[in-house]
Parts: sequence; structure tokens; C-alpha cells
Amino acid sequence: MAIEKTDVVVVGMGAVGGIMAAELGKAGLKVVGLERGPRLKTADFQLDELRYFQRQDLRPDVKRQPVTWRTSRNAPAVRISPQNNGNQAGGGTVHYGAVSWRLHEDDFRARTQTIERYSVAAIPQECSLADWPLSYAELEPFYEKAEYEIGVSGRAGNLQGTKIDGGNVFEAPRQRDYPLPPLQLDQSAVLFEGGTKKLGYHPFSTPRAIISQAYKGRPACTYCTFCQAYGCYIGAKSSILVTKLPEADATGNFTLKTGAMCYRINSSGKRVTGVSYYGPDGSDNTIEAEIVILGTFIYDNTRLLLLSKTDRFPNGLANSSGQLGKHIMTHIMANVLVGFDDRHVNVFMGPSAQKHTIDDFNADNFDHGRVDFIRGSQISIGTGNLEGGPISVSTMAPPPGVPRWGAAYRDFLATYYTRHAAMVAQTENLPYPDHTIDLDPDVRDQWGLPAPRMTYDWRRPNELALVEFMMKKMEEIGRAMGATKVWRAPLSQGAPGAHHEGGTRMGNDPNTSVVNKYGQSWDISNLFIVGSSTFPSMSGFNPTLTIEALAYMTADAIVNKYKKSPGALL
Amino acid sequence: MSEHDESRRAFIVGAVGAGAVAGTALVQTAYAKTQKTKPQPSATSEASAANRAADTFDGHGVFFNDEDVATVAAFAERLMPGAPGKPGARDANVSNYIDLALAGAYAEQQDFYRRGLAQLDAYCRKAHNQPFVKLSAAQQDDVIGALEQGNASEFTFPTAQAFFNTLRTHTMEGLFADPVYGGNRDFAGWKLVGFPGTQLYYTPADLASRQAFTRAPIAGLQAQAKASSKGA
Repeated sequence: MAIEKTDVVVVGMGAVGGIMAAELGKAGLKVVGLERGPRLKTADFQLDELRYFQRQDLRPDVKRQPVTWRTSRNAPAVRISPQNNGNQAGGGTVHYGAVSWRLHEDDFRARTQTIERYSVAAIPQECSLADWPLSYAELEPFYEKAEYEIGVSGRAGNLQGTKIDGGNVFEAPRQRDYPLPPLQLDQSAVLFEGGTKKLGYHPFSTPRAIISQAYKGRPACTYCTFCQAYGCYIGAKSSILVTKLPEADATGNFTLKTGAMCYRINSSGKRVTGVSYYGPDGSDNTIEAEIVILGTFIYDNTRLLLLSKTDRFPNGLANSSGQLGKHIMTHIMANVLVGFDDRHVNVFMGPSAQKHTIDDFNADNFDHGRVDFIRGSQISIGTGNLEGGPISVSTMAPPPGVPRWGAAYRDFLATYYTRHAAMVAQTENLPYPDHTIDLDPDVRDQWGLPAPRMTYDWRRPNELALVEFMMKKMEEIGRAMGATKVWRAPLSQGAPGAHHEGGTRMGNDPNTSVVNKYGQSWDISNLFIVGSSTFPSMSGFNPTLTIEALAYMTADAIVNKYKKSPGALL
Repeated sequence: MSEHDESRRAFIVGAVGAGAVAGTALVQTAYAKTQKTKPQPSATSEASAANRAADTFDGHGVFFNDEDVATVAAFAERLMPGAPGKPGARDANVSNYIDLALAGAYAEQQDFYRRGLAQLDAYCRKAHNQPFVKLSAAQQDDVIGALEQGNASEFTFPTAQAFFNTLRTHTMEGLFADPVYGGNRDFAGWKLVGFPGTQLYYTPADLASRQAFTRAPIAGLQAQAKASSKGA
């Protein structure tokens, strides 16, 4: 067993890990990063739909790194396909669609907003909706830092309070415009722009961490379409792999260990002392560190704490609150497809995933007085699986009356592959305490560790009503776009959707949350947990830019406060 | 990662960095040189599936035996049948894709196929007194429909629906995956739906067009690598 010492060990080298490594390394801290997967290069990536979309080459292997799911405590758990997490340095940002949102002001105070505008009775009784322990204004400088350092393309819709047409007029006020202009519109975006404007909505180009012009030594996007599910073949997608990891390398203070599977956080009383991990050769290793940062996907942020229980923390490390593993949220990607007889749409062009968006029905951007749900959804246009190749399209449900095989199906694909697009409503689902992650007693991963097990069923009254409302809106938009065919894709039978959040929720009260706003454990001050696992509510937006902003904020707090005076930041 | 890909990448980065699409002509010229022009496979009538199987039978594979490959090819052809101007599973050599996949990436599904094909054979003999490949197209469709609905007897593991779903998924992969994987022969699947393949870029004019994309020929991974090594 090898033992080494460092100032900081970071588990997981994705959106959080890359930022931590670069920012802490610049401040002179010695950082070791553990990544269970490899470190790939831009030159490794191919324009290959089978390998990356269908076989999910950049995601965890479902057999070696299983995750299980059951609808309730009494239902059997089954293995599920990999979700948004990655399996390489850069994490999910290597393969993601790069959609990059700032949350709305009211997303940070969804509970208070709902009570103030409607009533406490509007919040479902069994729901654990909570305000965030920080405001948009506090996070805003770090959103800006993320947008500029990483490289996001878009148009401001609210610049210092001035609303700007063509941007998202519902966005929270920003101090600076995006560093890069919006990406070009493809034909699905053009049609969506026209249809939604006809209905009086406010469409805009979806902000994406894909550079529309050369930026920081990287070339501009070529609109090749091999984007969501792929690594970008020229590095135009602003993944952590091509942005923060090179920065971390340049500090001279960063060591990346690939093929390194962390299996336990070591602790002594109310301090963590480091971590243990299995190396690529199966070796058992230990790193001693002054600070431990967990920056993995929500599965492992929770699982590692459960695996690291001690006599002092018998229900999971840093879990005196009993909140560990609870309040899991995921987006339900409700789809409406549209087909056109008078034109081609050519959805295989342009960067995925979501391309053009309306925010009119997201958050509390509209009056919920006449609907029987709270919160909402962005509605965007793109392709059915956020990827526009023909294998992807062959997995989508054809319109009613068209079979799934045979001459009629062949003719449907031959006609509509180039003449269709898909809308997606990415719904804000509420947190519930019985949506959980724990350790599966029956399934183990390649290292012999119990698999993370989700207990989750999105089909709650608020969510069902919200999804139905959005389906109708999308059908209305489809008709306004001039589509000759408008049809719904079937919904999942309760299964978790995209963008998982929760499990180590942040809050102001150590009794009801696992970490403070800096991701610092209330129980163990030298343990930081950062990522979407800390989100108290999820918003209708993709989480990555917020994860990155939180990582910058935590790094700033460690460098400017904690380093000078180690201990509780709050 | 081959040097071809490195040079392809360096080339496209340079071309795009230099301002828009200066490299278009170069890529196209180099690409055209590498293309072998093959005649479009002729598709026959959908009604004579059994006869067609005999005409185009591809023989023993690396995993499948002769009978297996004939059955899989016939099954896939009914899922995505060829017709004049509409390449089908047989044109794309889908059975070859599945055969190679089962010898490699999908090796753990060998038993699934072995048992599934045996069950399919037992069911066809029971319901129609003939193996699958000897049935008429209409009978083959009845069999596939029964599998899809889970109404075919003789299936335990895999279940009829699981076998149908897997064959459907693998047929689509064989039609639409890059030809380097052994299917999508002569880009048959991509031609069917109008997918131009691995285009390295689309221009503003491409994005603005309401027409079918025809600016550049269909490209696959191998042709692309060759093209960029010559172009660079």
C-alpha cells in the first residue's frame, strides 16, 4: 500500500475537479486529483455515432459500474443506463451538450417565492422544496467567471437590468454580456423562432459552452453535429478537458491520477485525513491530505460518504443531519416531435443539444394561479435524443399509426429523417425526501463496492400536471411552426431522467442540510462536497454552469478564507 | 489514433481558423479521389424475400454459421426491407455487421443469439412447418409481429420481445453505423434517409438551406482519414 501526502485531494476530475485543481493550484496548494477513467485527448475523438451515442463510450460501463433504480422501497431494483455522468478526466463536460444556464433569481428562493406569490398550500405537502442558502447576486460573479474562462456563446437578455430582445428576457440581470456571440441558427431553430414568436413568446439562441468564434487558442465550432454524447474533435466545446485541466497542469502543483477509484474517505473524529483508492492495477493506495474535496456525480458523492461511515458517523460520514442521500431530483425530458412536408430541416447540422429556447414557462416566469402545479420548464428545439444521427432517430417513437419496422417504417424514416425536429421540455421536478440514493445490497461494481441505488418515481401530481401542460404547449408551438405532423414521444414509467441533483443538499441549518453554501460539511470542516448533489432545488435548467460557478465560489472561499484560517467558514 | 486523424484535425482546424471554409475544395477533391464508385445494389420486390435470400446469401461469418447468417439477414430485411431506390438491410449487409459485433463488442450476447435463433426456428417450424428463411415475406412478417407482441410460443430466454427488440436495434445499427463496422455498405443506410455522414463542417449557407443537403458527398470515417492525409 502506497501512502502519499498532499495539501488537497480532489475526488473526480469533472466540472468541479478541474476548476478546483486549477484554482487551488494557482494559489500554491498541492493538489492530487483522482479520476477513475482515463485522460483522453481531443485527437482521440471520432465522428462515430455507434461508438459514442449508441454504445456510450464516454460514459460509465453499465456492467462494470452499475447503478440501480426502483420506483419505491417495495419494488425490485433494476440496472439503468448511464445518465449524464462521464467516465474520464473532464467528466460529463467531455460528452455533454454544453447548454450553459445561469439560474433565475427565484430559482434560488423557490420556496419563498411560491409562498409569497401563491400560498404555502401551493407546495405539495410531501415535497421538501427549500430555498438555497445563497442568492443569485452572490453567485453572479462566479457565473461570469465561468462563462469567460470556459467560453460560453449566447446573447444577454438582461444586461444590468436592461431587457434585450433576442436574448432571454427572463434571465437574471447580468453585469456583462456573454464572451462570445450566439451560435448560428439551424433550420429547426429558425422554425422554432418563427412559431414561438407567432404565439407571443420570447425565443432566443440557447446559451452553450461551444465557442462561436476562436477563443483562447481554440478554433470555432464547425457545426458538424457530433456534439452531445461526443468529445469535440477540434476542441470547440468548452469542456473541462480543454479548458481547466491544461490550466491546472500549468500551475506545477497538480498531479492527476487516472484509473484511480476512490473507495473511502478516511477520517479521525471530526476531521478527514485523506482518501483510499484502488489503482488501475488493483493496488490499494492511500493519500493523506489537509483538505478533501468530493466532486463526483451525485451517485458517488453520496455513495462515498455512505461507504465511509465511522463509529462517530454510523449513518454515513458527515451525516449527522440524516439528510444524506435524500431529495434526489432529475429532469423529465418530455418530447414533442414535428414533421414537415414542404421543406427539409436537416437536424444533423449544428451543435446539439438544445438549440433554441423559450423561457416563458420556466420557474415562476408566468402566473401559476390558473394551473395546478408550481415551477415550470424551459422548452427547446433540437433532436429527439439531443443527437441528430440516424441511429438516434431510429430509437425515437414514430407518429401514431406508423409501425416500428417494415416498409412503412422505412418510408417514414426515409421521408422524415431530414424533415423533422424535436422539442424538449426540461421540467423542474420538485425535491422529495423519499427520492433517495443508498447502497444496493445485491449489486456490486467492478471493485466489489455496492452499487448506488436510486429510489425514485417522478410521477407525482405536481410533475404529471406540469408535464401535461408543457406537452400541450409544445404541440401548440409545433402547429405554429407549420408542421404537418405533431406527435408526442411516450414518457418514461417513472424512471429518472437527465441531470441528477441532490443527495448532499446545502442549507443554512446544520440540522436540515449536509453542507453550507460553500459545500463545506457542517460536521467536518476540512471536507468539501461540491456539485449538483448540493442543489436544494433543481430549476428547469441544465446544471453544469451552476456547478462550475459553485466550484469557483468554493475555490475562492478556500483560497481567501479557509487557507488563512482553517475551520468552519460559517 | 492514427496519424491520418491527426493531420485531418490539424487540417480542419487550420481551414476553419483561416476563415470559414477555405478548405472545402481541397477536402472534396481529395475525398473524391478516394471514392470507389460502386453500382447501387439493386433491390428486388418485397414479396420475394425467400428467393432474394438465396440470391444474395453472404455465407459463413466469424460468429454465425451459414444457417444463422441466412436467418439473420432475412429477418433484418423484413425489418428494413429494400425496394427500388430504397436500400434495405440486405443492401447494407446488416447481417455482417451483427456477425462482427457478436465476435467482438457484443461477444457477451452470443448465447442470447444462439438461443434466440434456435427458439425462432422452433417457433417457425411449429407455426408454419418451415424454417424462417423458407417462409414467404408475409409469413415472415407474421412471425416478427408475433415476436414483437410477445405472442410467439417456444421462447423462454431470450423472451420473444427481447429477441425482437435486440434484432431491431442491431439492424438499425448495421444500417446506420459507419461502414467501418461492417454494415451500411456503400452508405446504403445513410442514402436511404439522406444523412451525409461524417461531415467535418457545415457552412452558413448549409444551415440556412431548406433543401436536402447535397453540397458534399457522403463521407465515412475511413474516406475522411484518407482525404485529410492527402489534403494535408
